Amino acid sequence: MALCFSVKHLFPISKCYVKNIILNNVCKYTSKNVPTTNHALDNMTDWETLSKKKKISKAMKAYLERAKEHDEFMKKQEFEYKIGKRHLANMMGEDPETFTQKDVDRAIEYLFPSGIYDPAARPLMKPPEEVFPARKAAEFDEAGRPHHFLFYTGKPNFFKLLHDGAEHIQQAYNFEDKVIRKKAVPDPNGELNIDNSIWLTKEQLEQVLVESITDLEYDNFKLLMERLISLPYAYRHKEFIEKYRKPLVTQRFALEIPKPSYDDEGRAFVTTYECLRKKARGDVTIRVPGTGKITINGKDLTYFEDVQPREQVMFPLFFTNMQDRVDVECNIEGGGPSGQSGAIRWGIAWGLRSFVDKDMLEKMQVAGLLTRDHRRRERKKPGQPGARKKPTWKRR
Amino acid sequence: MSNVTHYLPVLKNPLLLRSPWSRLQKRFLGRPTSFPDYFQNPIFRKEDQAKLIENSELSKLAAVPVRPPAVYETSSVYHDPLVNKVINHVMEMGKKKLARELVEKAFENIKRKQIERYHLASSPEEKAKIILDPKTVLHRAIANSKPLLQLSPIKRGGITYQVPGPITEKRSLFLAIKWLLEATNEKDRTIHFPEQFARELLDAASNTGKVVKRKQDLHRQCEANRAYAHYRWQ
Repeated sequence: MALCFSVKHLFPISKCYVKNIILNNVCKYTSKNVPTTNHALDNMTDWETLSKKKKISKAMKAYLERAKEHDEFMKKQEFEYKIGKRHLANMMGEDPETFTQKDVDRAIEYLFPSGIYDPAARPLMKPPEEVFPARKAAEFDEAGRPHHFLFYTGKPNFFKLLHDGAEHIQQAYNFEDKVIRKKAVPDPNGELNIDNSIWLTKEQLEQVLVESITDLEYDNFKLLMERLISLPYAYRHKEFIEKYRKPLVTQRFALEIPKPSYDDEGRAFVTTYECLRKKARGDVTIRVPGTGKITINGKDLTYFEDVQPREQVMFPLFFTNMQDRVDVECNIEGGGPSGQSGAIRWGIAWGLRSFVDKDMLEKMQVAGLLTRDHRRRERKKPGQPGARKKPTWKRR
Repeated sequence: MSNVTHYLPVLKNPLLLRSPWSRLQKRFLGRPTSFPDYFQNPIFRKEDQAKLIENSELSKLAAVPVRPPAVYETSSVYHDPLVNKVINHVMEMGKKKLARELVEKAFENIKRKQIERYHLASSPEEKAKIILDPKTVLHRAIANSKPLLQLSPIKRGGITYQVPGPITEKRSLFLAIKWLLEATNEKDRTIHFPEQFARELLDAASNTGKVVKRKQDLHRQCEANRAYAHYRWQ
């Protein structure tokens, strides 16, 4: 029944159609004696052999029913997704055979434009495997005896992970003892490179384990792994450690550097559009060679009345020592002086990439000039006077 | 066409899902109001970067995500974190522009006074002793007014003892700036803030004046209360 409920919510547009199908399917499930001939799910679970066994525990029976229901459901979702994709392709006038998920997202954005603040609340069409998370397979045999030695902890995969981690720590200690006894020095080549990755977040770990864990349990996981990597011989357990780390995003600043174009006077120029910071947005053009002339909305640097925004505009130019070798033109609107100067700062730094060498690029990255500041004002929450501020505490 | 709309219900709104699986779905917030923890703090001062290049750590650091510098930070030679700190302490009700103007005016006053003194000095030795740079004066003044110990009230047997103990670097800096500003604000209404602040800074830089006396008083009291020191751990 729960399934029906959820499915109805999923497809509010074609309620009747979905209901019919569900009723049909339910009928099929209840008539257990009838062997269904056209089973497309045989590759998922071997129902025939499983259901032929005489002695089946109640738990297993219930599981089989649930699993069957789930598989049917997923199959139907898959079918509907495929048909929906074909129709979308036809509507967009493209070839249904070569219509990819990227095209689907684009089509949905085009057909259902949404101004909703939270992207998670916008309409979407994804393959069912992404929308419905994976479920565990049977954890016990036909007699109801669990496969996993930690089954009765309730979270076998999570506690197995902790168990393995502790074992790895013990091994590292033993190895260290052995090395000390032999009076050897640690291998200088063996080094754990973990700078470019972070631990899986709680949600990601939950997806890996297919189990929901509490915050405390996640903290315990992190504590254990930190202990493991702090050991001198942790590099011997690299494989285990890397399973639970996610690489950080690759460097974008060194890629896709635009080639400068040339204007009528033969000067190279690069225009950066979409320079955003707070509520300000604008574009920045950098011309080389120049004399250090800065134009902001038709005025010079005195467009900003205060010193601080002026300093911000000059920051990337002074940093790269290009202050008297380039001309800068900006059009900027929205926001206040701080936001506008921040947008220009990023635009200048982003445009200067085409005119500096690789060492300077690295320096600019370490200085944080190439990072887009995407922070926005946090919204006010109902029931409290500000975004975070709470009402004054009163006894009564 | 009716057929097409019939099949489109695959569009779903995950927030409306009420199935037991929806719990596992991740919620992406469009525009976060802060940077995640794994973003490193930026290193933008030229001298700090030179150190990195010496240790050949620069390319290593360039591979990790870095926060952008704040609006008040630049790599300019005129940028000084301590001056920024003082400006923030002077600031009231978020009026940073005014606070910055006041501090810069105080610097101007210091410069004027020191240049006057410089020209009045007779011998070259005396001239060499006079610090002309207002920022150096500020640094010295704060270094001279930083306390080394602090008194913390600890209750034992119904009596509160003032127990001396070590002070953290951060709190010591905070107290120094706070004392300097308190001493400045004890002025007459006719005297303006920059003028009095310049005086206090010059006094503290030469190890005299109200703030240095306050620091020495605190040290003296700590010395007097050293008999209670064991209450810190007993």
